[in-house]
Amino acid sequence: MPKVTYVDYAGNAQEVDVPVGENVMHGALYHGVEGIVGECGGGLSCATCHCYIDDAWTQKVGGPSSDIEAELLEAAAAEVKPTSRLSCQIEMTDALDGLVVHMPESQY
Amino acid sequence: MPIDAANPVPPAFPRHVGMDQVPDHVPPELIRQSGLTVGPEFLAGPHDFMAALHEKQPPIYYDVSPMGNMWHMLKHEDALFGLRHPEIFSNEGATPFPRDPDDYFYFIPIEIDPPHHRKYRNIVDPVFSPKGVLKLEEQIRRRSNDLIDGFIDKGECEFTEEFGRPLPVSVFLDIMGLPQDMRDTFVSWAMQLLHSNDRAIMGQAMQSITVYLKEAIAEKKANPDDGVVSLIAHAAPDGVPLSDKEIFGFVCFLFIGGLDTVFATLNNIWLYLAQNPDKVQEIHERPQDIDKVVEELLRRWSVTFSGRVLDQDYEMRGVKMKKGDRVTFILPACNFDPEVFPNPLEVDFDRPRRTILAFTVGVHSCMGAHLARLEVKIALQEWLKRIPSFKLKPGTHIEYRPGGVIGPENFSLVW
Repeated sequence: MPKVTYVDYAGNAQEVDVPVGENVMHGALYHGVEGIVGECGGGLSCATCHCYIDDAWTQKVGGPSSDIEAELLEAAAAEVKPTSRLSCQIEMTDALDGLVVHMPESQY
Repeated sequence: MPIDAANPVPPAFPRHVGMDQVPDHVPPELIRQSGLTVGPEFLAGPHDFMAALHEKQPPIYYDVSPMGNMWHMLKHEDALFGLRHPEIFSNEGATPFPRDPDDYFYFIPIEIDPPHHRKYRNIVDPVFSPKGVLKLEEQIRRRSNDLIDGFIDKGECEFTEEFGRPLPVSVFLDIMGLPQDMRDTFVSWAMQLLHSNDRAIMGQAMQSITVYLKEAIAEKKANPDDGVVSLIAHAAPDGVPLSDKEIFGFVCFLFIGGLDTVFATLNNIWLYLAQNPDKVQEIHERPQDIDKVVEELLRRWSVTFSGRVLDQDYEMRGVKMKKGDRVTFILPACNFDPEVFPNPLEVDFDRPRRTILAFTVGVHSCMGAHLARLEVKIALQEWLKRIPSFKLKPGTHIEYRPGGVIGPENFSLVW
């Protein structure tokens, strides 16, 4: 099963299995990874699953998948960078096995 | 103090009701009798009333009401903060439905604060995720069309009874794995519990619900299926099966949360569209924007509130509140906060995306939100395909009744 590494603001990394087809936000929630809140559950209405894609992965993952994601990112609590994504909008594929995402200091 | 969900005890803090029970720490200048959910001005037009609260009341005031005294919060910003800080604004004991003190249970997961809350959400979230609910799409379309078949040739219908009520209840029963022939019974229990404003009637309804659901759970334990009642009855997070109290509290809460809210939402939206043919036309012309349409209609026509209890003394906007005080975030009013949604009563499908509070925010965000969005979307699509324009039947009198879920009583449409 593909793996995702979540790195928190302090630099601590946690690697978890995320099945193909599941999204990176749920991968964190179902494994108790702190730092991704995902309060709306993937409905593109809250921007609390904000993450930064590791530089090595930005090309493969790509930018926001819709205008709505881009609009919501503008309202995210932490600094928005070119590598910012909402993790609920990143669906796992075999090609993303090994993905590394960094979590902001706060989601609120 | 984290509670033990397997060994529930009734909350110890008091309920205050009426002017003679206003705690001493509440400044007299912040005491109001706003009439929210009960007064004649509210009942004449609840959403207009809630939008006007921003002009008539301070952002935080202490409301004295026959339904209980509590702080009301109106600002979008304050709701985001409060609802995202469960260590200050706790859910434990904040749900107003009466229960037998000798057979007490918690409503799960809404009355469970973090960190225990996530354990329960993980059981059901896959079913209610955006992807999970998409599996129901065809079935919801079919149920919508079956209902429309029943009245389209008449050229009119009583919307709430013939569409608004049966659609979400049928869908809910499908998901839960409960029989469709219970539909009307379920609806009447929910109406008594949520709309009667009479604690004796609420208690009786709760009793009927309890007996039925306990039998249903026992049946699913013996005969598992792929419905949500069975899923919960057989759940074992970290290898530990849920206790009977947890299973019951979970199933019972989904019953309460799932039956009445989409009903009221559909009623609000169809009443609005019947009176705003230009918006109906716009929806027809922009089929690709249906998700934006749904989101804006949910903002404009939110139906309920979020109640919390302060778990510590806390000050906001200079207002000093005390541990044990009850707080209600007036979610529809927050959705009308002019600082976030300019010209808030205007329905504008092109508003910039901002967090709406229709489904609240924080860890207790509505788990049924994606299902609700899908139901509203499909109902709009299927209805407008077959009944492209419609209006209120002449002479229809619109009435709202007091209650915690806001929508119009019966109304008839013609086409």
